Amino acid sequence: MNLQKAKTVSADNPLILALPKGRILKEVRPLLDAVGIEPEAAFNDSSARQLTFNTNHPGVKIIRVRSFDVATFVAFAGAHMGICGNDVLLEFGYDEIYAPLDLDIGHCRMSIAEPVELSKTDDPKKWSHVRVATKYPAITSRYFADRGVQAECIKLNGAMELAPTLGLCRRIVDLVSTGDTLRANGLVEVEQIMDITSRFIVNRGAFKTRPTEVSAWIGKFEEAMNANAA
Amino acid sequence: MTDAASKALLPIGLHDTLAPMAEREASVVSTLLNSFYSFGYGQIAAPLAEFEETLLSGVGASEGRRMFRLMDPASRQMLGIRTDITTQIARIATTRLAEAARPLRLCYAGQVLRVEGDQLRREREVCQAGVELVGEAATTADLEVLSLAIQSVRAAGIDGFTVDLTLPQFVPQLCDSLGVDAETTARIREALDSKDIDTLNALEGDAGALFKALLSAAGPADIALERLARLDLPAAIASQIDGMAAFVAALREQHSKVTLTIDLGEYRNFEYHEGLCFTLFAPDGDGELARGGRYSVSGEDGDAETAVGFTVYVDAVMRARAEDDVPNCVFVPLEEAAQAATLRAEGWRVVTGLTAAADAAQEAKRMGYTHVYDAGQINEL
Repeated sequence: MNLQKAKTVSADNPLILALPKGRILKEVRPLLDAVGIEPEAAFNDSSARQLTFNTNHPGVKIIRVRSFDVATFVAFAGAHMGICGNDVLLEFGYDEIYAPLDLDIGHCRMSIAEPVELSKTDDPKKWSHVRVATKYPAITSRYFADRGVQAECIKLNGAMELAPTLGLCRRIVDLVSTGDTLRANGLVEVEQIMDITSRFIVNRGAFKTRPTEVSAWIGKFEEAMNANAA
Repeated sequence: MTDAASKALLPIGLHDTLAPMAEREASVVSTLLNSFYSFGYGQIAAPLAEFEETLLSGVGASEGRRMFRLMDPASRQMLGIRTDITTQIARIATTRLAEAARPLRLCYAGQVLRVEGDQLRREREVCQAGVELVGEAATTADLEVLSLAIQSVRAAGIDGFTVDLTLPQFVPQLCDSLGVDAETTARIREALDSKDIDTLNALEGDAGALFKALLSAAGPADIALERLARLDLPAAIASQIDGMAAFVAALREQHSKVTLTIDLGEYRNFEYHEGLCFTLFAPDGDGELARGGRYSVSGEDGDAETAVGFTVYVDAVMRARAEDDVPNCVFVPLEEAAQAATLRAEGWRVVTGLTAAADAAQEAKRMGYTHVYDAGQINEL
């Protein structure tokens, strides 16, 4: 039996907020300001080795991890709350994650792209079997399955655009924001799978066992959003 | 891979349990069963495998995707390995015990097997213990069962858990009374269950605002009841809220210290339940300890009978409880072996040496025992 964990059980444990590194983090900062969470100084130093950061709230700590890991930390209750894209949420489909808010940041889309040359003669309606390089094998297979197309996914963790050039496959499924990277690599979008934005997410168990605190933070983020929109 | 390593490797989600864990687990199961017995529930046992069709009927209807199946060479029918024991208890209650006096109080403990573990609990073979109270519709039955769930989990060594209450049929009934079509109802249920405000915002008409208010009413029982009472609901639906309030008050009389939350959007895994349902959540987001509620079982003649029960997830309980100390055990060297029976009678666990040991204390330490018997005395190591 798996009993390695002897976690101290206390409602006094700080709530942990998991934030994604990179592009989205910049857009998250104004929201943190709006809800009144001020991370300690080291948080602003992207070269710092520190992974956990205190905030001006003694009951709230921040961890900074990869976007995919935000979802995993929150699903397994390592972190109570987090911010990550719905691309990640749909890829994993964790039942233990509640996604109560669309934060309206981190906008982009998930699309199928292929070489410009191929797109001139290719008819997506006639596909029966495709080989696709992607960071999102679950979303990709589901999308193609819904269309009655067999998809063979090659999982890559980055630089998807290289895959068609180097002959791994002819098509890719990836996030597109401006389309510059695709163009620079001689690729073109042929189909859009979905729009992506970042969500405020909450662990289901935390929502149930610490409802007052967790609901209060959901409320604050929602207020901050509405103030932004107004 | 070496031969020894390949023998040690088990299929994913299956594991060996060693001492003292296996003993602790057995003792937790026995604590749970003792709680059930103390309320007069009679223990029954059912087989690991039975006809697939029976296992998938009634409350078992959603278990198909999680079930291991095998072909029975004797009957040439498909057998399923149980993924849950509730369905079996329902079968027994409506067949073998159809004529037994009602209300029928039954309890069980046993292993179940799944094709795939949960996202949080990767184990495919887990132990479940639980009760079913068959044939009584009064809310006192719901109260007895939830009360027993709280007491038994507490007796198993867990404190500070939260009891989350829901009415899985509330949202569909509300949708029905508002004239919402089936497809939208499914979307609303899903959104309320996963706390997805955007989907609710996107609803047309006043329904969106009402369901958003319902979502924000999820939380600590007192606040939730107050917010639910303020909703503008059809009379038939509103009476369910009054029923919930009365139930909460009655439960508080018996368990004043338990943390209660209400979340009427919660329905996952309660698809086939009706009436009140509950989930016990481990402290600090460690997942579900137990869940249960009211459902109906149908007998061979098609008559439906009401039942209420719960299942405790023993593996989750084991994870959430504090570690016990290693049990005390006395080593008695071979020369003193005659003393062993007396010490056992006094309640000690006693191991006697099988060969003469030069240094009894040393030998006891080597074997990991806590005490040694030396010159008429028990010394702690």
